[in-house]
Amino acid sequence: MKKNTVGSGLLLLFVAGAIGYGLGLGFDALINGAPNFSGSTSAAFALLFAVSAFFFGLYGYRGITRGLVWQVVGTLAGGLFISGIRALMGYKFSEIFGSFFFSEPAWVFGALVGVISFLSGVGVMDDWMKWVRGIDTHDHHEDEPGWEKYFSVSLDHKVIGIQYTVTALVLISVGGLFALIFRTELAYSQLQFLTTTFKLFNQNGPQIYNSLMSLHGMIMIVSILLGVSGIINYVVPLLIGAHDMAFPRMNAFAYWIAVPASVLLLMSLVLGGFDTGWTGYPPLSARAPVGVQMFFLGVFTAGWSSILGALNVIATVIRMRAKGMNAMRMPIFVWAAIATSIIALTATQLIGLSFQLVMFQRLFGMGFFDPAKGGNPVLFQHLFWFYSHPAVYVFVLPGLGIISELLPVFARKPLFGYRWIAMSSLGIALVGFVVWAHHMFTSGMNEYLRVPFMYSTMLVAIPTGVKFFSWVATLWKGKIETPTPMLFVLGAIFVFLLGGITGPPNAMVALDLHLHDTYWVVGHFHDTIFGGFVFPFFASIYYWYPKATGRRMNEFWGKVHFWLMTPSFLILTFGMMYIGLLGMRRRIVDYDAALGFDPTHLVMTICAFGIALSVLIFFINFFHSMKNGEKAEGNVWNSRSPEWQVPSPMPAHNYEVPFEVVGEPYDYGLPGSKYVQFITPTKKK
Amino acid sequence: MTHKHDKSSAFSQGVLIFVYLAVLTAVEFFVAVKLNSIQIMLLIALVKAGLVMYYYMHIYKLNTSDEGDEHSYSFKSGTNRIGLWMFLLSDSFVFGGLLVMRFNLLGLTRPHLDQNLGLLVTAVLLISSFFMNRAETSIEHGDRKGFVTNIIITLILGIGFLLGVVAVEWPRAIEEGITASSNTVGAAFFMMTGMHAFHVLTGVIFLLIVLRNGAKGLYDKHSYPVEAAAVYWHFVDLVWIFFYPALYLIGVVAG
Ligand code: HEM
Ligand SMILES: [Cu+2]
Repeated sequence: MKKNTVGSGLLLLFVAGAIGYGLGLGFDALINGAPNFSGSTSAAFALLFAVSAFFFGLYGYRGITRGLVWQVVGTLAGGLFISGIRALMGYKFSEIFGSFFFSEPAWVFGALVGVISFLSGVGVMDDWMKWVRGIDTHDHHEDEPGWEKYFSVSLDHKVIGIQYTVTALVLISVGGLFALIFRTELAYSQLQFLTTTFKLFNQNGPQIYNSLMSLHGMIMIVSILLGVSGIINYVVPLLIGAHDMAFPRMNAFAYWIAVPASVLLLMSLVLGGFDTGWTGYPPLSARAPVGVQMFFLGVFTAGWSSILGALNVIATVIRMRAKGMNAMRMPIFVWAAIATSIIALTATQLIGLSFQLVMFQRLFGMGFFDPAKGGNPVLFQHLFWFYSHPAVYVFVLPGLGIISELLPVFARKPLFGYRWIAMSSLGIALVGFVVWAHHMFTSGMNEYLRVPFMYSTMLVAIPTGVKFFSWVATLWKGKIETPTPMLFVLGAIFVFLLGGITGPPNAMVALDLHLHDTYWVVGHFHDTIFGGFVFPFFASIYYWYPKATGRRMNEFWGKVHFWLMTPSFLILTFGMMYIGLLGMRRRIVDYDAALGFDPTHLVMTICAFGIALSVLIFFINFFHSMKNGEKAEGNVWNSRSPEWQVPSPMPAHNYEVPFEVVGEPYDYGLPGSKYVQFITPTKKK
Repeated sequence: MTHKHDKSSAFSQGVLIFVYLAVLTAVEFFVAVKLNSIQIMLLIALVKAGLVMYYYMHIYKLNTSDEGDEHSYSFKSGTNRIGLWMFLLSDSFVFGGLLVMRFNLLGLTRPHLDQNLGLLVTAVLLISSFFMNRAETSIEHGDRKGFVTNIIITLILGIGFLLGVVAVEWPRAIEEGITASSNTVGAAFFMMTGMHAFHVLTGVIFLLIVLRNGAKGLYDKHSYPVEAAAVYWHFVDLVWIFFYPALYLIGVVAG
C-alpha cells in the first residue's frame, strides 16, 4: 500500500470535494428543478466529503478519519430519519427537502447524531463502554511512535495537549482567513467584491460578510478555549509532578468532542450562514437561516469540551500534586489554571442554555424570547453574558499566568508578590461573575441595574492592577534577557495594558452609551485578547517547544515574527479605536465615504495582512524546526521549574523519579536555593 | 473505612430522613395552599436540600477522600467523587438558569396544573430516593440480594415518575391548552420538566447498568459505582425539590 501523505490527502480532498459538489448539484436539480451552483446543498456535501477524504489520504481509515466518516454518515442518517418521519406525518415534499437540502429539524437532529457518531467512530468512548459491561481496562496505553499518535485517541496528557494546541492553531488560521476576507472588503468605502450580485452558499455579498464576521468571532473564541486547554494540559501535570491528568479518558473525550464541534461551525457557513455576530442575540437569531442552528449546536458541543476539561484540571491539581507542594508553593501558572477552570466549569452551562433555548424556540415555537408570546429578549442577554463576560477571563487568566510564570525566568529575579498574584487570579475570576450586565447598558434592561454593574466592573481593575504592579516590580533592576519567548511576554504586558485601560471607559454608563457597538469596543477587546491570550500563547509555544520536541524554534525567525506582528497589531487597534471614537459602527459591511475613514481603513487592512504574514512565518518556523531546529535537550532557559530538570523530550509517563518540593518556586538569583529535588529511590518496595 | 455504621442503624437513619422529607413536603404543600408564602417555601426547600445532600448524598465524604496511597481503590474513588460533585455543580447551573428563566418570564404566576398529580409524582420520586439509599447501604454491607431488590424498586418508581410527567402530566397540560408553543407559561413548563425528565432518564440508564453489574457481583468489594449512581439519583431528586414549588406552588395560576 502507498504511504499516506499530505499530498494524497490534498488530492483526495479535491476529488471528494468535487464528487460531493456534483452530488449536491444533482440533489438540487431533483429538489428544486435546477442545480444551484452557489447553493448550500452542493457546498454542504462538498465540505463533509472533502474534510473526511483529506484525513483519509493523510492517515488512512482509522482514528480521526473514522470519526469524520462516521460523523458524515451519522449526520445524513439522522437527517434522513427525521425527513422520513416528516414524510409519514404527511408533510409536503417541499417541506422535507429544500434549498438547504434537509429541513431545519432534520439538520439539527442529524448534526447531533453526527457528533455522537464521531465520538464512537474515533473510539474515545470505547473504555467507558467496557466499564458499562463490567470489563476492566488498563490505565496505561501505549501510543504509536512519531506523528501518527496525534491523529488517534491517546490518553497521554502531553499528546492531548499538543492535539489541542495544533487544533487551536488550525482554527486561528481559519478565523484569521475569514478576517482577511472581510477586512479587505472594508479597505475602501462602498462594496468592492462582496457586492449584492455576489452569490455563495445561498448568500449574497453583504450576507457573506455578516456570516464571516460572526464566525470569525466564534471560531476565534473556540480556538482560544482550545489553545488554553492545550497549554494547561501539556504544562500543568508537568508542573505539579503528576504522571497524567486525574481522568485521562475524560481528557481525551474533552479534546475529541471539539473536532466535530469545529465541523459544525464550518457547516453553519455553508448552510446559509447567519448575521447575528458571535453573540447570537434573538430576535435576529430566531429569524436567521438554518446556519445559525449549526452555529448554536457547534458552540454547545465545544462548551462541553471546556466544561469537562476544566473539571479535570481542578481534580488533577487537588489530587495529584508532588510531595511538599502546598498551595503557596504551586507554580503560579497552576493558580491561573485553577481560576480559569472554576469559571469554565460553571458559567459555560449558561451560554449552552441560552443557545439551547433559542434552538428550541426555533424548533418548537417555544416563546422564551418572543415578545409576541410574552417572551423577553433581554433575558437571553442576561443568560448569555453571565457566561460570556466571565469567559473573557477564561481567555486571559492563563495568559496572565504565563506572563507571571516566565517573567522571573528571564528577569532572573523572584516573582514579586507571589501570594498577591495567586489571589488576584481568583479575585478576577470571582468578581468576573458579577459584572455581566455592563454589556447591556443600552439594551433596555432595568435602569437601576446600570450603576451597580458599573461599579462592580470597575472593581475588576483592582486585581488586574495588582498583576501589573507585580510584573513591573519583577522586571525592576532585573538582569533581563530577551529571547523570543520573553519578547512575547513583554509584548503581552504592553498590549494587555492598552486593553486594560480602554476597559473602564466602557464600564462608565455615560460613556458607554456612546461607545457601545462602535469600533472602539472592537479595539478594546482585540487589545485584551491579544495581550491576554495571543502573545502569551506564542510565548509559551516558543518556550515549551523544546520540552515537547527536543529542539528549539529558530530565534531569528521568532524575532521577525514578533517585530512584524507587534507594530502591525498596534496600528490596527489604534486605528479601530480612533475611528470608533469618531463614530464608525461595528459589524457593518460598508461605511459612508463622507466620514473620511477610508485612509484609516486602508492602513488597518494592510496591517491585518502584516499580522497574517507574521503568523505564516511562525507556522513555517514551527514545522521546519521539528526536524531541523537546533538540538535543545537540557535546561534551555535555565529555569528552576521541575519539567526542565529532566532531559527533553519528556518521556511518555513523565518523571521516572518523583520529585519533592524543597523551596520557593521563583527564588531566582538566590544562591544555593532550589525549588524541587528528585527523591532518590532508596526504599523501593 | 474507619467509621462504618452497622447496617441496621444506617437503615434506620434512612427511614428517619425520609420521614423528615415527607413531612416537610406536606408542610410545604399546606404553606402554599394556606399562606402562599414564598419565603417559607424557600426555607423548606433549602432544609430539604440540605438533608438530602448530607444524609443521602454524603457530601461530607468529600473530606475523607484522602485515605490510602495514590493507587489504592479508596484514593481513586475519592478522586472520582470530587469529579462527580464538580459535574453536579456544573449541572446545577443549568437548572439555576432555568429557574431564572421561569421567574423572569412568569414572575409570580404559575401554570394551571393538576395539584394531586404533582404531589403524587413528587412523592414517588421522594420514595425512590429512600429505596436508592437502602440499595446503596445494602451493597456497602455486602448484601447483594438486598441491593438488587431495592434498586429494582427504585427503578420502578423512577420510571413511574417519568411516565407520570411525560405520559400523564404532559398530555393533560396540553388538553388544558398549555402547549410548548402557546405562550411562555407552556414554554417554561415544558422546558423545565423536559430537562428534568431527561436527567431522570439518564439516571434510569445509570441504575440499569449498576443493577446489571451489581447483580453479577462486580460491586461486592468495590462499590463506588453504586455510590455514584446513588448520588446522581439523589441529585435529580434535589433538583425537583426546587422545581416542584416553582412549577406547582409558588404564585397564582396564570389566567
Ligand atoms: C479592566 C478590565 C475590563 C473592563 C473594565 C472591561 C469593560 C468592558 C465593557 C464595559 C464592555 C462593553 C462595551 C460595549 O459593548 O459597549 C467590554 C466589551 C468587551 N470586552 Fe472588556 N473589559 C475589561 C477587560 C476585558 C478583557 C480582559 C477581555 C478579554 C479577554 C475583554 C473582552 C471584551 C470583549 C470580547 C468585549 C466585546 C463583547 C462584544 O460585544 O462582542 N474585556 N469590556
Ligand atoms: Cu464584559
